[in-house]
Amino acid sequence: MISHRQGNAQRISALDERAEALHLKRDMGIADARAMHPSIDIVEADPEADRRLLEGLADWCDRYTPLVALDGADGLFLDVTGCTHLFGGERAMLDDILSRFFHQGFDVRAGLAPTPGAAWAAARFCGDRIVVSGEEEALLAPLPLAALRIAPETRASLESVGLRTAGAVMAAPRAPLARRFGATLLLRLDQALGRLDEAVSPRLPVAPLSVERHLAEPVTLTEDIERLVGLLATTLKTDLERRGEGARRLALLLFRVDGAVSRIALGTSRPMRDPRLIQKLFHERLAALEQDIDAGYGFDLVRLSVLAAAAFDMAQADLTGEVTDDGADIALFADRIRARLGEGAVLQPVAVESHLPERAVAIVPFSEAPRRTTPPKRPDRVRAPTTIFPPERPIRLFRAPEPIEVPATEMPEGPPLHFRWRRALYRVTRAEGPERIAAEWWRQAPGGAAASTRDYFRIEDADGRRYWLYRQGLYGGSQAAPRWFMHGVFA
Amino acid sequence: MAISAVARETVFALRRQIAKIEGTLPERLQAPAGVPLDADASADLTIVRRGLAAALPDAFLPIGVDPLDAALSGGLPKAALSEIHGLETRDAGAVAGFALSLASLILKQAQGLPVLWIGTTEIFREAGFPYARGLQASFGIGPEQLLFSEAPKLVDALWVAEEAARMTTLAAVILEIRGNPLRLDLTATRRLHARAQSAGRPVFLLRQAAEPEPTAAPVRLIVSPAPAVPRETVAGPLAGSIGRTAFTISIDKSRTALPGQFTLEWNPDERVFDERRGEEGRTGRAKNPVPVVSLSGGRKDPAAAPGAVLAFPAPRSPYAISSATGDQPPPGQRAAHLSPRRAG
Repeated sequence: MISHRQGNAQRISALDERAEALHLKRDMGIADARAMHPSIDIVEADPEADRRLLEGLADWCDRYTPLVALDGADGLFLDVTGCTHLFGGERAMLDDILSRFFHQGFDVRAGLAPTPGAAWAAARFCGDRIVVSGEEEALLAPLPLAALRIAPETRASLESVGLRTAGAVMAAPRAPLARRFGATLLLRLDQALGRLDEAVSPRLPVAPLSVERHLAEPVTLTEDIERLVGLLATTLKTDLERRGEGARRLALLLFRVDGAVSRIALGTSRPMRDPRLIQKLFHERLAALEQDIDAGYGFDLVRLSVLAAAAFDMAQADLTGEVTDDGADIALFADRIRARLGEGAVLQPVAVESHLPERAVAIVPFSEAPRRTTPPKRPDRVRAPTTIFPPERPIRLFRAPEPIEVPATEMPEGPPLHFRWRRALYRVTRAEGPERIAAEWWRQAPGGAAASTRDYFRIEDADGRRYWLYRQGLYGGSQAAPRWFMHGVFA
Repeated sequence: MAISAVARETVFALRRQIAKIEGTLPERLQAPAGVPLDADASADLTIVRRGLAAALPDAFLPIGVDPLDAALSGGLPKAALSEIHGLETRDAGAVAGFALSLASLILKQAQGLPVLWIGTTEIFREAGFPYARGLQASFGIGPEQLLFSEAPKLVDALWVAEEAARMTTLAAVILEIRGNPLRLDLTATRRLHARAQSAGRPVFLLRQAAEPEPTAAPVRLIVSPAPAVPRETVAGPLAGSIGRTAFTISIDKSRTALPGQFTLEWNPDERVFDERRGEEGRTGRAKNPVPVVSLSGGRKDPAAAPGAVLAFPAPRSPYAISSATGDQPPPGQRAAHLSPRRAG
C-alpha cells in the first residue's frame, strides 16, 4: 500500500489487490486503515520515481512508434498511425504490447481508437478494446463522465444536474452546456468523437530517418552490436544518398528484452554517410560506455536514427581514387576522439578581438570551430592598429591567475624584486614593463564597480624562467592595496 | 663500380626495411670535410655507422645549430618518438617552448598541417593552458593550425596520442605528461614510437618534472630555461631587458651522441635556432679589446702584427677548384668507409 500526504493527513494513494480485498479504498486516511488492519504495509509515495519509471516505459514504447507522449502520471499515448502493419495489424500489435508488458511485470490496460480521447476512455474504462473509426460515440455513450477527461469539479456539477454518463452529455443541447460548464467540456467531447483534431506531442523529437532491426535471438556482445550498426548504417546510406544528405547527429537505440532502453548519441564534425566510418564511431562510443551499458539478457531490437542531417558535399576523386582532403581525415579523427571522450575532447583556439589576454582566445570544441578552409575575412577598415613591436604574450596562460606574494617593489609602480609563488621564493633579475591593460568598460554591468586596471610585467628569475605577472590596482589610492597575480609563462 | 646502381638501391631499400622492423634509429655518416656532396655521394651517406640501418637523408629534422646537429648525427629523427624532459613543473614554459619551436621548424616544410597538443587536465592546470596568441607571436603557429586535446585521465591521453600518432595529416603530435606515471612505461612508449615510425611523423613526449626512465624513445633531451640576453638596440644591448628566448639543451639519451649541453636561442622572426655564442660573439665586438698592434711609444716604428700575412686565393678562383679536384680520388677508389657495407 502506498500513502501520500494530502492536506494534513496521510492518505492511501494506491493499493494492491490484497489490500483491496481488505476493503481498503483510495483516499482513505492511513490512521483509519491502520485502525482497521494494524498489520498493513505502508510505503511513502515517490512521484519522482514513478515519473522515471513511466519515462523508461515510454522509451521502451519507442519500439512501436516514434510518437510516444506521457499522459499524466500513469498513462502513455502511442500514435501508431501507419505503424500497425509492421506488427501484423492492430489486434496483433495490441496483444504484443500487452503480453510484453505482462512479461515485464506490469498490469497494463490498453485501448486503441481513432482519437486520443476515445483511446483514453477505452483503455481506462473498457480495457483491451479496439475501436474502429465511427464507433467512438457508441463506445463513449455508456461510460461515466470521468471517461471524458474533465476536471472533477465539472464532473460533480454535471452529476448534480443529473447528467451521469457521457451519452447523456452528448444528448444534451450544446449551447447551455458550454455556457454553464465552460468550453473545456465540449472541447474534450469533440476531441474524443473526432470532430476536433488533437495532436499528441511526442516526448522526443522524431528522427527524420531511422532504420531498425528486430532480432529473433537477443544479442549481448558488443561486437555483435557493432556489426549490426554496420548493417543498419548500410541501409541508412541509401536513404541518405536519396536525400543528398549526410548525418550530423546519430543515435543508436538498444532495446533490452526486459524493457530497458539504452540511447547512445554521437555527433560528427562533417556530414557523414559511409557505413564503415559510422561503425567506427560507434565502436569508440561503445568502448567508452562499456561499463555503463548492461546487456542483461540481451537486446532484441536495435535502431539507428539520424537525428540531424546536413547537405552532403560530394567530393570528386581523381583517377587513382584518392580524394585529397586532409581536413576530412582530421575531422574523422576528431569525431572518434569525441565519441569516446566527450564533446570537449578536441579543442581549437579561435582568435577573438579583445585586448584582455584571457578573452583574446576562445577555446571551442573542434566541431564548432570555423572551418580551416575558410579563414575569417577581416574587413580592412577595422584593422587593429599595428605596432612595430607587437606586445609579448606568454605561451601558456593559467586558467585562473594565481595570486602571488610580493613583499617589496623598488618603485611603487615598478616590478617586484622578489615574489613567492606556489610557496617558492623567486628572485627577479630582470623585468620589462609595465604594460597596462584596462578592463573592458563596455562589458561591465551598468552601475557596477569598474574593474581595476592591470599592469603586466615580463619577469625573468635567477634561473632564466620567464613569467608574466600583473599587479591589479594601483598603490596609494583610496582603494585597497593592489594584489599581484601570476598569469602566464613564457618560453 | 662493382655493384650496379640499381642493385645498390635495392640493398638500401632492404636495409631500411630491416631498420624499420627492428626499430633501430637511422643514423648517418658525417660527411668528411672536403668531399664534395654530389648526388652519388649523398646516396653513400645513407649508410650507417652503427646499427646497420640505412635511412634517407631527410629522415632527420635538423635543428639548425651545427654542434647539436652533429652530436645528434643530423638532427632529431622525424619519424620517431622524442622525449623532451623538464626537471621541474615550473620549467614547463621552456620545455613547451622548445617542442613548439621544433614544431615550427617542421611546419616550415609541412605547410598548413595542424599540430595536435595532448595533455592531461592535471598538467594544463598546473602549468597553464597553451595560449594561442603567444604561440602565434613566438612560433608562427596560427590558431587554425592548433588542435588541443585535454584528457581527464592519463589512459585517455595515451589513447588519443596513439590514435594521433598514426595520422599522416598532422604535422606533429605533442603529448604532455607530468611525472612518472606507471602507465607510461616501456610498452606504451614503444607503441607510440611504432606508430610514429609507420606514419612518418614526429611525436614529442613532453615530460614535466619527470625522472629519466627507460622508454622506447631513441632520443631524450632535457630542456631547462636559460637566462636571456638583453635586447639588441642600435646603441648596444638594452640593460635590464629580456631578449630572445633561450634554452639549455642537454642530450640525455641518444644512440649516437655523447652527453652534452648546448644553449640555444630561438629567433622568432626567422623561426630558426641560433646557438648562443660567447659573450664576445654576441655583442659583435670584443668585450675587453686588446689592440692588435701596440701603440708606438718612444718614437719607434709601430711593431708589426705577429704572424705572416699570405695572399690566399679566393675560394671561387679557378686555382682553388682545380687543386681540390686534383686531390680527389677517382670515383671508384673512394674511402672504404664511404662504400656500402654488407650487413651482418
